[in-house]
Amino acid sequence: MKPDPSAVGRRARYEVAKRVGSPLLDAASLLRRTTRKKKPPHPGPFGPPLACTGALKDLMTRHYFEGRYADGAVPVAWVTSGFPVEVLRALGYHTVYPENHAALLSVSRLVPELSGPLEAEGYARDLCGYARADIGSVASGKTPVGRLPKPDLLACCTNICQTVLYWYRDLAARFRVPLVLIDTPFVYGAPQPHHLAYVRDQLGEVIDVAERVAKRRLDWGHLREVVKTAREGTELWGECLRAGTHTPSPWTGFDSFFHLAPIVTLRGSEACNAYYRTLRDELRHRVKAGIGGLVEERYRLMWDNLPVWFNVREMSTLLAEGGFNFVCTTYTNAWYEAGRRVEADDLMGSAALAYTRILLNEDLPSKLALMKRLATDYDVQGAVLHSDRSCKPYSIGQIDLKERLQRDSGIRVLLLEACHADPRAWAKEQAEARLHAFMETFG
Amino acid sequence: MRNAYIRDQRERHRRLAVAVLPILAPRPLLTAMNVLGVELWGPPGAPRGHDAGRLQAYVCGLVRNALAFVASGGADVADALLVPHTCDSLQGFATLAPDFGGWGKPVLRFQHPKGPARPSATRFVQAELRFLATELVRIGARWPADTQLHEAIALHRRIDALRAELLDQRARVDLDDVALYALLRRGEWLWPEDHLAELEGAKQQHLGDCAVQHGVPLMVTGYVPEPAGLLATLGEAGAYVAGDDWAAVGRRVLRGPAGDVDGPAWERLAAWLQGMPPCPTRTADQPARIAHLWSIFERSGARGLLIHTVKFCEPELFDVPAIRRHFAAHNVPVLHVESELEAVLSGQTTTRLEAFVETLTRRKEAS
Repeated sequence: MKPDPSAVGRRARYEVAKRVGSPLLDAASLLRRTTRKKKPPHPGPFGPPLACTGALKDLMTRHYFEGRYADGAVPVAWVTSGFPVEVLRALGYHTVYPENHAALLSVSRLVPELSGPLEAEGYARDLCGYARADIGSVASGKTPVGRLPKPDLLACCTNICQTVLYWYRDLAARFRVPLVLIDTPFVYGAPQPHHLAYVRDQLGEVIDVAERVAKRRLDWGHLREVVKTAREGTELWGECLRAGTHTPSPWTGFDSFFHLAPIVTLRGSEACNAYYRTLRDELRHRVKAGIGGLVEERYRLMWDNLPVWFNVREMSTLLAEGGFNFVCTTYTNAWYEAGRRVEADDLMGSAALAYTRILLNEDLPSKLALMKRLATDYDVQGAVLHSDRSCKPYSIGQIDLKERLQRDSGIRVLLLEACHADPRAWAKEQAEARLHAFMETFG
Repeated sequence: MRNAYIRDQRERHRRLAVAVLPILAPRPLLTAMNVLGVELWGPPGAPRGHDAGRLQAYVCGLVRNALAFVASGGADVADALLVPHTCDSLQGFATLAPDFGGWGKPVLRFQHPKGPARPSATRFVQAELRFLATELVRIGARWPADTQLHEAIALHRRIDALRAELLDQRARVDLDDVALYALLRRGEWLWPEDHLAELEGAKQQHLGDCAVQHGVPLMVTGYVPEPAGLLATLGEAGAYVAGDDWAAVGRRVLRGPAGDVDGPAWERLAAWLQGMPPCPTRTADQPARIAHLWSIFERSGARGLLIHTVKFCEPELFDVPAIRRHFAAHNVPVLHVESELEAVLSGQTTTRLEAFVETLTRRKEAS
């Protein structure tokens, strides 16, 4: 069979972008960082910024830059954060995470602009802000990352919510590409054997479709390597998170929201692991040197649910000024809990279990147990539960969780209503007043 | 009345009673196991009792009401709750009520496979049905013999056929919507043989040979015909429901051969479930759903489409734009109204319904 000349051209362009463009971007970024006039230390409440934040930006810029040239060159999959991505990585897919992209849109406060035209078409504002932002971006072509590659495959797993299925179905209709689904039965108590068998069955079905779209067979040996790499990345991410058990914590929970990006979007790649080695080493150094995420860490808090992306800076500053540091979050911890359960010698069985037993796919006693464990391990005195209008599965039960955490762990808990993506659902003054009142209770 | 009936069923027929949350439960399995399923759609109205505040205001009213209702003892007559896995909110309810308080008796779950029909989904449904049966046995029900399953499926197929006939021949049924829907919705809690007898009686008495409904025919898609005042308002405005895709009613009427296939009882039971009309809470196959809606619309002779959703119901809301696009492309007037499962229809919604019916009436007269 003759190779398609346009495909060859696109592949060449992609390789140039990857092998020449990306290193050039890195070099330019490095040059900018080293030649930039050093700012005097900020007099604010935060400790010195993490040095590897620049490397994080480079890594993510590279990922999105290479993505611009990926379609037509390599198979492209748009993937939910809880999908067993190892399979796609082993098949050579370039993966795009609409949730990560939607977080970027939320940080950039673009959600109202992107969602507005959709709402005029009948999409309710009560729908998940990530979904509205991402679909709005696809419909309008507006994105802060330049361009997203068109997917050849949409890969969705319901272990984080059912919303992703509706969201991806909408994308599938727009792009007219196959949608593969891993449907994970919700875990009440312990997963049932027939639930795990169902997930295992679906993994097999997904591999068939993914192979067909990629036009190549899965190399199981390579998949084992990818799984090992993903596990190592997950462990490294766990080590970074556990740095927060030290007092003072060498970083803040809000930092961890941003440094989460590689484990979500690049899990299973060596670039991801290399980045987390750097981050871990820096955090270790800060622990040894007594450098905290805050200049003065007076109180340690836990955060539950997604961040309020468009307000992270303001909220973290408000709290940091009172010496309050989020040293752990249930959200960032979720990426440590699951990936490490996949075993190279029982790929399908262990993946079925690992991807079924995700925080959001387990019952409330499991979530409460996790929160209590985090509260103890990280020695927190309080918690803020973000009651997220855009994420019902994460938010249902929080009113009871608040009471139980207060009672069982002896910590102060605040329930704060917001939306992770859409600033129109954010009452700034009201929220700040509640946070001030919460801080005052600590004396 | 409902409680007295349930008590009578328990005492006289030694049946277990299970309160069933929306939308679709394997009712033939319950019947075969001598279990009375009593559905709990809210109930409508402001949530009652101090547990009303245990869910945020942005959670669907049905789930908030159900939690408040069971926690205040409203469902105590039942031996257990059965929660089909319909949506994220009901999934949360199924852990919140038993694990954090509100319901002290057993909670059974039935997890529907999501997404398209696949071999894995069919195998899973069959396994999940057996698992549910095991759980029912654990609370005192009897394991169903294959013959009992076959008989139960046949009974429910007869109910399906009668319900389909009354809905599909709506113009020839001389009952107003309030009376017809009261009859159809009694199937949510009556023992199936009792419901079948009522349906047969209604067919004999009210289904005629020629059209007796002369108002504007309307099609509805949505969740549940609540508040009941909605039907009365439509009737008073001069319309009647000719096409029904309410999740609580028409969307649970199996038409065609599914479930009639020969074969092992458990496979037939799975086929009964999987053959149900498209619902966004299960298959999420939007093109199939729209094709189904369009076939109801054409068959019913409806003049407009009413989309009637419960606020915050994501599965329904995600389909609304595509439904609106499709019907608008065919020049069909569409009205979307949301309810929060109130006890009484709001004045604003009443006005919108009246205006919509008036528009349809004018179009009908003009044509």
